[in-house]
Amino acid sequence: MSQVEAVAPKFKLTLSRDVTDVAYRLLAVAIICVVLSIASDAFLTANNLLNVLRQASLVFFMASGLTLVILTGKIDLSIGATVGLSACVAATVIKSTGSPWLGAGAAIGIGAIVGLGNGLMVTKLRIPSFIATYGMLWVVQGATYYYMSGQSVYGFPAGFRALGSGYLLGIPIPVYLMVAFLIIGYFFTKRTTWGQQIYATGANTVAARLSGIPVNSRLNLVFILSGAMAGLASLIYLARLNSAEGDIGETLTLPTIAAVVIGGTSLFGGVGSLFGTFIGGLILTLILNGMNLVNMNANWQPLVTGVIVLLAVWLDMKTRSKTDG
Amino acid sequence: MAQGMATLGRVPGVAFVLVALFAIFAAMSPGFSTAPNLSNILVQSSILLLLALPMTFIIMTEGLDLSIGAVLTLGSVVLASVAVSTGSLTIAFIAAVAIGLAFGLLNGWLIAWIDIPPFVTTLGTLGIAQGLCLVITDGTSIVGMPPSLHFFYSGTVLGIPFPLILAAVAYAVMHGILYHTRFGTYVPALGGNREALRHAGINDRRVLAIVYGIGGLMAGIGALLLTSRISSAHPTAAIGMEFDAIAAVAVGGTQFERGEGWLLGTLLGVVTIGVLRNGLNLLAMPSSIQVICVGLLVIVALFFDGVRKAHDS
Amino acid sequence: MRLPLLVIRNQSRMTDLATIAPVQADSATARGPLLELRGICKTFPGVRALDNVSFPIWAGEIHMLCGENGAGKSSLMKVLCGAYVADEGELYNHGEKIEIKSTLDARQFGIAVIFQEFSLVPYLSVAQNIYLGREFPGKIPGTIDRQKIRSEAQRVLGMIGSDIDIDAPVHTLGVAQQQIVEIAKALSQNARILVMDEPTSALSDTETEHLFGMMRRLKAAGVAIVYISHRMAEVFLLGDRITILRDGKMVATVLPNETTPSDLVQKMVGRKVDAIHRRGDNIKPGAVALDVKGLTGPSGISDINLNVRAGEIVGLCGLVGSGRTEVARAIFGADRITAGEVTFFGKRFSGGPDEATRMGVALIPESRKSQGLALIRSVGDNIVVSSLDKLFPSHIFHPGKAAKVAQAMIKKLRIATPSPRRAVQVLSGGNQQKVVIGKWLAAEAKLFIFDEPTRGIDVGAKAEIFALMYDLVENGAAILMISSELSEIVNVCDRAYVMREGIIAGELSRERLNEENILQLGMHHE
Repeated sequence: MSQVEAVAPKFKLTLSRDVTDVAYRLLAVAIICVVLSIASDAFLTANNLLNVLRQASLVFFMASGLTLVILTGKIDLSIGATVGLSACVAATVIKSTGSPWLGAGAAIGIGAIVGLGNGLMVTKLRIPSFIATYGMLWVVQGATYYYMSGQSVYGFPAGFRALGSGYLLGIPIPVYLMVAFLIIGYFFTKRTTWGQQIYATGANTVAARLSGIPVNSRLNLVFILSGAMAGLASLIYLARLNSAEGDIGETLTLPTIAAVVIGGTSLFGGVGSLFGTFIGGLILTLILNGMNLVNMNANWQPLVTGVIVLLAVWLDMKTRSKTDG
Repeated sequence: MAQGMATLGRVPGVAFVLVALFAIFAAMSPGFSTAPNLSNILVQSSILLLLALPMTFIIMTEGLDLSIGAVLTLGSVVLASVAVSTGSLTIAFIAAVAIGLAFGLLNGWLIAWIDIPPFVTTLGTLGIAQGLCLVITDGTSIVGMPPSLHFFYSGTVLGIPFPLILAAVAYAVMHGILYHTRFGTYVPALGGNREALRHAGINDRRVLAIVYGIGGLMAGIGALLLTSRISSAHPTAAIGMEFDAIAAVAVGGTQFERGEGWLLGTLLGVVTIGVLRNGLNLLAMPSSIQVICVGLLVIVALFFDGVRKAHDS
Repeated sequence: MRLPLLVIRNQSRMTDLATIAPVQADSATARGPLLELRGICKTFPGVRALDNVSFPIWAGEIHMLCGENGAGKSSLMKVLCGAYVADEGELYNHGEKIEIKSTLDARQFGIAVIFQEFSLVPYLSVAQNIYLGREFPGKIPGTIDRQKIRSEAQRVLGMIGSDIDIDAPVHTLGVAQQQIVEIAKALSQNARILVMDEPTSALSDTETEHLFGMMRRLKAAGVAIVYISHRMAEVFLLGDRITILRDGKMVATVLPNETTPSDLVQKMVGRKVDAIHRRGDNIKPGAVALDVKGLTGPSGISDINLNVRAGEIVGLCGLVGSGRTEVARAIFGADRITAGEVTFFGKRFSGGPDEATRMGVALIPESRKSQGLALIRSVGDNIVVSSLDKLFPSHIFHPGKAAKVAQAMIKKLRIATPSPRRAVQVLSGGNQQKVVIGKWLAAEAKLFIFDEPTRGIDVGAKAEIFALMYDLVENGAAILMISSELSEIVNVCDRAYVMREGIIAGELSRERLNEENILQLGMHHE
């Protein structure tokens, strides 16, 4: 025998990684819920649970576009700042014109433009995405501060505020929106050729390009979508807060990335799903909600979020090296 | 000497920007080119230099440290609270340096051994450091510093401001490490060709972890200047300073890929950022404009890099 | 896990030869070989890279290592330098067993390797690179003596007769100069065994002469040199003994004066010739599928002219580094070009790989793992990746339809996978290559550019891949095939272009297509 071609693959009866990943995370959600309902009587109330869902929907909107970017193996650190700028511009547009629709157009448009800028820096100038979007973060942040010059804008039409705090049949309106976007997002990522190409690009960018995928235009697309979704998220955020200030987006980047990585999307691209990101956002929201319920100071939030991000990535790396080995 | 030529060939970029900014501000603002203001720029830049020096090392390894501003802040908070509770500046300073070093080594461990990408690692530790600041201070300032603390930012030795002396020593030490030690030789190799280090039998992970450790250590030392400057500690005092540090390194000509770096460029980059912020300040520009200008400066620097890279290949 | 050593040495003629001490007898000879390999085995998933390799290396000899690409030379080299640890087998120094488990072990024993892919740091100077990891300590504790590093580097470079500036950052040097720095680096380690992998492939005549002179001096000083080369002239000029590898096995160790170049080639190629079913003679070339005129690019190729007709398999050969892959990439639109034009099926092409794919062109790249496949994705996903727009013109993706296409391709190409949902990384090399080909069949490509299609896959799978290629051309496809295995070019191709240093050195018609003519055209100034 000359060649050992038959290093036979092990035919183990295993569920596909997607399924097990989601199962583990749903289990985590269940465990957290049990722990929280024991720890606090206020947890298992309809009011609180709906509130958690509302919060989770906000995280989901920001994290969904970022999930697409991370699926291609890139990163967008400018998300939080983009939410801030979009919210502030939308706020002033709504205030001055009285039209929420114009405000929405401005928010989503600005997000898309920022995303396009990120995409072009990455594809045309070949600047690594973490540094290109980091530079963008500060430019956008600075622009927001300049635009607001320390003022705050508040008091929006009730119709617009309903987007963030309204209810329909007893369920918060943003939750409906989230479900709609989960379905659209699922369809886009799993049931369109663009979605397939996004996964392929993240799994091996070089091979994707040599397989005839227009890699650069797909990368531009995900950055634009990431920005546009940040714009959309800013509207819901704005409607919920009913006011906008320059620092509105400052602390949003870390929880957004946290949702994506807790949701099991690999930072190296090609693995993950929007549904995972939804669960990731839910887990994060539940934990922060629980801290709130047991009267833990809100000052602990960035610390806990940071620890969770690192733990999630660490766990992900550990399971990955096991399955690869 | 070709190496000398290569580095000299890089001088004009950042030096040109520096001279141009200097000329513009000198023309537009009479207060700019006065001796006290210039001295002020240098003193203000010294904290930034302490962060930008190790950031140069880190970026040469194709890494990034987003947590360094938050760690500096945490160092300041720790320094202030220990100083208040023990009354000893020495113990307080040691505590600040220790917490900085611990965060740096944590970054290094996560990046070098667990292989978590640097930007996520340091974004996570940024959150942790920022959170610790808030938890320790409960969101307020820590005041009541011993009066002797004043010296470290405002005092002089032989007429030279102490921060300048500290910055000069730091620069000399980091220069010595980068160009005159084994460790320093391996830093550009981490970014340029990590495989070569392994072939040479060098523990590349340890070198990488130490690079991040130095970043934390320098942030801890910087906490002394920061706390002395505002005579208190505030949980958001130096949030975002990592951006100025990264900007100074990028403007100074260090590449984000392949391990090309240049410490003197970083020094010039730091002064450039200092001049830019000071000048805009004198022209009564809000800090938002300063941030945008620094951001644009970085993007322009990266743009020229990108153009050059596209041209090379 | 270490298995007990089953076979220590074959009792064959070649073993007897192998134990003959080299001509340059010295006192060390009495103590046995400087390094003796016994039964070295190394297996990777899907391929046995080294299979029971045993031979001695004596002090003061130049030991030639010959074999085709994929014969196991690089793996053997990596075992010697400690980058790989052998699965089985032992190493002996003067009859005493030694262990090489890391690069550090190898270095301490005195083995230095000059790799083809450079281990240099771009932004360090020549001197710093030469002494990387072995910096001389300076007077102040903890510092390095930069002056001594410079002067020692200067001395070592002087030994090779090179005048490279020791302070130049390595990224400013050309490939040939970088090669010299690599050699200097190895020399500076005072190695007892120096392993060189085609060191002259990028050197000029003068530099080659200097290198040979230096090798002779080292040899006289008792250093053993293991030298890998494809160049017959070098093998016979320098070699004291020649060991031939094939398919990871040691074929023979011979003395140069007892063999001839053609005998050597015969041993290198071996029975593999039989494994390739030679293509029939009834070739009816159709319309021109690929026409390349004056193609020039920054990747080092210039004025490339070639064409491929439907129904033809055209070879593109030449030494490693002669620009074959660069030509393939430039044709496919993957690399920038500065001059010339490419025409597919009579239509002018100027775009990227996505445009080439749309026009019905396929590239099966050299490295399937890093360039051909998304290893973490499934077999099915990889098969449909290039035909998404074709299969789903409305952009709505139907997993069921994709699975059907994948299943059909798995059946057609007999890809051994339990399911199309299996990740491609668990398949063997041959089956992975079939997935890459299946991807392009699904995309209904009409022009296929194969870059080393049989690298690292076993004989059976090779035969299948050739059968597939014959099938393709019989159905009107056109194929341009790059291969380093001359026997493949000769047996499979209808004609071939031979490249040398970035240009087309000549074209060989079917009548003139044989290994001697290819070597003649492809060799540098020899």
